[in-house]
Amino acid sequence: MTIFREIYEYREMIGSLIKRDLKSRYKGSALGFLWSFLNPLLQLIVYSFVFKIVMRASYERYYLFLFVALVPWLFFMTSVTGGASCVWSQKDLVNKIYFPREVLPIAHVTCQLVNMLLSFVVIFAVILVTRHGMNLAALLYLPAIMLVEYLLALGIAFFVSAITVFLRDVEYIMGIVMMAWQFLSPVMYGIDLIPEKYRVIYQLNPMTPILMAYRDIFYYKQPPQLGTLIQATALGAIVLIIGFGVFQRLKRHFSEEM
Amino acid sequence: MNSENSIEVRDVTKQFKIFIDKGRTIKERALFRRRRQYEHRQVLRGVSFDVKKGEAVGLIGHNGCGKSTTLKLLTRILYPDTGSIEITGRVSSLIELGAGFHPDLSGKENIYINAAIFGLKREEIDRRLDDIIAFSELEDFIDNPVRTYSSGMYMRLAFSVAINVDANVLLIDEILAVGDANFQIKCFNKLQEIKGKGTTIVIVSHSLDQIEQICDRTIWIHEGLVRMEGASRDVHPAYLDYMEMKRRENAEKEAKRKAEKEGVKEAEKKKETIPASAYGMEEGKRWGNGRARIVEVRILDQENQERTIFRVEETIKIHLKYQVKSLVRDAVFGLGFFNAQGLRCYGTNTEIDDLPPFNLSEDGEMEVILPRVMLLSGVYTLDMTIEEGHGMPVDYFREVATIEITNSKRDLGVMRMDHQWILDYEKK
Repeated sequence: MTIFREIYEYREMIGSLIKRDLKSRYKGSALGFLWSFLNPLLQLIVYSFVFKIVMRASYERYYLFLFVALVPWLFFMTSVTGGASCVWSQKDLVNKIYFPREVLPIAHVTCQLVNMLLSFVVIFAVILVTRHGMNLAALLYLPAIMLVEYLLALGIAFFVSAITVFLRDVEYIMGIVMMAWQFLSPVMYGIDLIPEKYRVIYQLNPMTPILMAYRDIFYYKQPPQLGTLIQATALGAIVLIIGFGVFQRLKRHFSEEM
Repeated sequence: MNSENSIEVRDVTKQFKIFIDKGRTIKERALFRRRRQYEHRQVLRGVSFDVKKGEAVGLIGHNGCGKSTTLKLLTRILYPDTGSIEITGRVSSLIELGAGFHPDLSGKENIYINAAIFGLKREEIDRRLDDIIAFSELEDFIDNPVRTYSSGMYMRLAFSVAINVDANVLLIDEILAVGDANFQIKCFNKLQEIKGKGTTIVIVSHSLDQIEQICDRTIWIHEGLVRMEGASRDVHPAYLDYMEMKRRENAEKEAKRKAEKEGVKEAEKKKETIPASAYGMEEGKRWGNGRARIVEVRILDQENQERTIFRVEETIKIHLKYQVKSLVRDAVFGLGFFNAQGLRCYGTNTEIDDLPPFNLSEDGEMEVILPRVMLLSGVYTLDMTIEEGHGMPVDYFREVATIEITNSKRDLGVMRMDHQWILDYEKK
């Protein structure tokens, strides 16, 4: 239990690592902080063009259908791919001073969360401009589903960041894994396209219920189903416990491996 | 854990895998199994020591002896294989200065980041901010990005943050070489101040002088074990002695290697220049390579009469006879006065006093005249030294003589200082 108290003691470090990351990210670029909004918007345009015009996806308001799942997906993806190297890339710190090592993945994933929240400003703007409308009761579930996704991303970040210290390939493997994972998750399409017999397997993907919940809230304007929420929370919790456990086992040897 | 102790280290062992060629990718691990051969290196073999609360301790030892590993274990960057380490209170380490500095951010922003990495909370940093900036002497530049700083400014800022953390235990690794001479003095004084506040300090350094000045105690780590611990004044000579022996061994090895190349005759010559019996101590009070020996030291007064009791401000002459066994190049004579507590009250040598360099080639005598010895009452011991080159002891003779100083006045302290009182200053 002392580890949790210690991580709390180092909350200022987590905060300043996030601040440092956000502040330095766009330093020197002409548009600066605007990129936080431009980036998702430009991605949206590319994806919409490919899937609506070229691939002829049949969903109504496909850009919104895609966008409300794509933004949470990008949060998850950057948390994991960047998370793989978040301990290794700070080897100077890890080798030279003590701090609870958990701080690094926590700061990284939290930083991505902040980025997602900024992207959500764009989502709300798009919904407003297109007069899609919003269901306030459904919106109440948003913080809960964000929290669940955050914990899931954190669990995987713990896991891959610890493994990467010992096996550098993981960082590159994760790039491929995440691409496959994206196509196997209901980001660009809905779960209704998956044949019935494969759905059970499909539901084991912890990102499936999370993305479904986001889409329920914004696209279908309805509260997510209770089953979806429970499933998301359970999978998220399991992944977090495993990831944290692995991290605890390996962190003592980080410095020796670097 | 004993409540008097701040740090308890018990039977700590640590070994590292030394890879001949470490593979970190799957391909390397699968294909080049043979290349991944490694050997275990036992760095620590059961180190135990205590550090009391408020004590300052120096860790010394030759390169690779395990002292830096010990410090890393105390910092919790590494963890012991067996044994235990217990530390009470907040630990701060001055191992890496400027950890986490970001070049594009301002000095002030970096203070916040760096201090947070040391585990400080927002309010604590707010409270210390002015002190940190003042100590760094960077008031005019504190809002500029750190990348515009000179390396000296950078280190000053980093040191200021680290030193203002207010830890219960401060771990320091060779960092007192920061900034210019003035700033070094400032750092040094700050360390004394921190020590005065009751902070426990552990220092790893190659500079025995630094350790002697700050630490109460020295721990000598040798081949992964504590070889000796005690007052710096006892441990340091033994350590220097060992290093000298090591150096001679290496020199002899080198000579042998050369001899094998150049033939036996050359080797014989070489051996003659290093007298075999030179190394040895007399009651643990004397060490050096023995090329020259102090054979007699007499303490004289102004009239050249031998005496051991003097009054404050009297003249003392130290008369020294020496024998030369083989040529001593760039010889240096030195002296040191120590009080009963082991404090070096004064020490100097001919090099410090800028005498032109000289060699000792034959037996001789010399004299040091101290026209006005300002030491206050007490018993003092005298060390006399002959060194060569850059501080290599030829004959370091500890406690070669004892003198007593008596004081007819009642002024206090270690030494008298010239002074005058001006009471009617205004009228003047």
